[in-house]
Amino acid sequence: MKRLVALLLVLMLALTGLTALAEGGKTKVVFWYSLGGTNAEVIASMVEAFNASQDKIEVDAQYQGEYDDAINKLKATAMGEALPFDIVQTYEIGSRFIIDSKKMVPVQTYIDKTGFDTSVIEPNLLAYYTIDGVINSVPFNCSTPLMYYNKTAFDEAGITEIPTTVDGILEIAEKLATFDSEGKLDRAGFLFSNYGWFFEQWTGKMGREYVNNGNGRESYATKVAFDENGAALDLFNMWKKISENKYTQYIERGGTGQSRAAFAAGKTAIFLASTANLAGVLANVGDSFEVGTAFFPYVNAEDKGGVSTGGGTLWMVDSGDEAKMDASWEFIQYMINPENQAIWNAKTGYFPINMKAHDTDTFKENIAKFPQFQTALDQLHASGPEYVGSLLSVFPEVRQYVEDVTEEVFLKGLSPEDAVTKLTNLANDAIEMYNLTNY
Amino acid sequence: MQARKPQPPILNPGIKKGKKSLYEHIEPWLFMLPALLVFSVFLFYPLFKTIYLSAFLTNSVGQPKVFYGFKNYLDILTGRYSASFWNSMWVTLRFVFFVAFGSLLLGLTTSLLTSKKFPGRAFASAIYAMPIAIASAAAAMSFKMIFHPSIGLINRLFGTTVNWLNDPAWAFPVICMISIWLASGINYIFISAGLRNIPDELYESASIDGAGYWRQQRHITLPSLSPTLFFQIIINVIGAFQSFTQVRLLTMGGPNETTNVIVYSIYLDAFRNFRFGSAAARSIVLFVIIMIVTLIQFRAERKVHYQ
Repeated sequence: MKRLVALLLVLMLALTGLTALAEGGKTKVVFWYSLGGTNAEVIASMVEAFNASQDKIEVDAQYQGEYDDAINKLKATAMGEALPFDIVQTYEIGSRFIIDSKKMVPVQTYIDKTGFDTSVIEPNLLAYYTIDGVINSVPFNCSTPLMYYNKTAFDEAGITEIPTTVDGILEIAEKLATFDSEGKLDRAGFLFSNYGWFFEQWTGKMGREYVNNGNGRESYATKVAFDENGAALDLFNMWKKISENKYTQYIERGGTGQSRAAFAAGKTAIFLASTANLAGVLANVGDSFEVGTAFFPYVNAEDKGGVSTGGGTLWMVDSGDEAKMDASWEFIQYMINPENQAIWNAKTGYFPINMKAHDTDTFKENIAKFPQFQTALDQLHASGPEYVGSLLSVFPEVRQYVEDVTEEVFLKGLSPEDAVTKLTNLANDAIEMYNLTNY
Repeated sequence: MQARKPQPPILNPGIKKGKKSLYEHIEPWLFMLPALLVFSVFLFYPLFKTIYLSAFLTNSVGQPKVFYGFKNYLDILTGRYSASFWNSMWVTLRFVFFVAFGSLLLGLTTSLLTSKKFPGRAFASAIYAMPIAIASAAAAMSFKMIFHPSIGLINRLFGTTVNWLNDPAWAFPVICMISIWLASGINYIFISAGLRNIPDELYESASIDGAGYWRQQRHITLPSLSPTLFFQIIINVIGAFQSFTQVRLLTMGGPNETTNVIVYSIYLDAFRNFRFGSAAARSIVLFVIIMIVTLIQFRAERKVHYQ
């Protein structure tokens, strides 16, 4: 028995040695990503396909938790010398922070070096990540907010005109709401998620700026702009209107998961969420009712702005190791090639960032199956690149303050004017502190 | 658990006092060296580093940039962050009180229920001990759906329409209840073990003397269990002070900061707001508070009865 165990051990050692030898010629690239659930499975299968497709590069994809977790790990390791990865996926609002950390190489360097044709990438998405005139990172999982509605409920209520403003939603909420035998709200007309991202998107929809210095793009922001240009006041007034409407409900903060679950269960006729939810919403709803999608609503009827991208992007680490950096770029190009972006789009609901993906069969089949996705594309193309969205170092913090203050408007009855003052002070204080210690 | 007060060392009368060789001076330190090394790396170094950081403003990756002296402390105690800080202090104290005693009480009740043999006891024990095997993150995610305002189990069962986790009046009690339940498993296990260590003769002689059930619990079970209960309270208090997962996943400190416990506020300061200096100052304040609480508890230990 002992001999057998010893033999097995030797065999195992020999085998690991062999595999190590076999992999010896490969360049190893570590890829940190931050998507969970089915999205993670898609990433894993794309990475696997890449590793199988050639024998020079071995990509090791590692899940690092949510975007915040990945950024925190990045912070923790940024103090040391070398970063333990070569490619990292982060959220769009982390861009300024990552540039400030000076650990990444702008992908522009590699675009120029390999003559990569950037005209195939959706210009509105690319514009977000073009900072100080260079493309810093590659848009990968991109989304915009969308309005989801229960088309069956709309038909039953005889509503044919889909609202384009929040006021429009509030007007039809009464018709869409249903009550149970005890007179309690069973299906809300509209569920409101208190999500800082929407505040940013609505500011863009109004065509106004979030922070100063050209929305933080000409140079780093030194204070918020939403107080002086009235965006915040308009939004808090709108919040107040929503909170006073009996047929709508405040449901959650910091995300849209709860309202999505309620929507799928038929407990609300309308909710707002990222386009990335589309595949999931359709799967959750199944055959119980028909799902419609429409543009993210305007705040005021006369608004002319547009939505900007949310989601994630791929950064390349400036490791100084040419072979690894070349390999990383090779892998990034693979991830955004037309075929992969079509698969990515079909399986997750994120945009195909490569416009050539529109010609693939995968994409055509998917859009025929889910015509709702066309709305997302139309909305993206209808938004001008001037509404590209802001850059701000302390975005995660300010987003929380937005949610804090919104909560107070909803739950404590804070007046919109006081809400603006409070939010502005908190945000400017945070920006000032960051700038003092980082620039 | 049989912690006793340190006794004065018993000196061997054969050894001359005051004249120790060099080796005798070094020897005790040699024995302590491994423990000291471990403590230095994982306790003393982080403690001093935290104190050091608390005197600075840091940049986004936590490097000290601007010397700030005591102002980080002033900011949280009386300055710009004071409202939020004192709120989270108050939330934490209430939270610790409810969770430490709530889970103790739940653990004590459940272990008394299963102390006698009855059919199905093993099953009941497994149910009561189960929370210990459940990851708090998994439990939090389940409770998120259970307390969902429109499709959650609770609202269905009771016919209510409360938005439990987003209502300032309800979020705190709900978080407390979930935490009590999560901590009750470990309480159940320790208290059950404690119960089994109480000799049956005590109960026998008590019942011969005519003591009823409650009297037996009051005069036999509680004093005999007191070392276990004392230990459990300390564990519960420390555990409750460190609660984070439930708050992070269920309420993110809201609504209106009604569930913003101090550990969560430290996390927000350091990892969301990039203010490691201010977070370090909060940590030191928390450290001082836990130290005071623990000292008070050890004073109370005098009431504990060791066999």
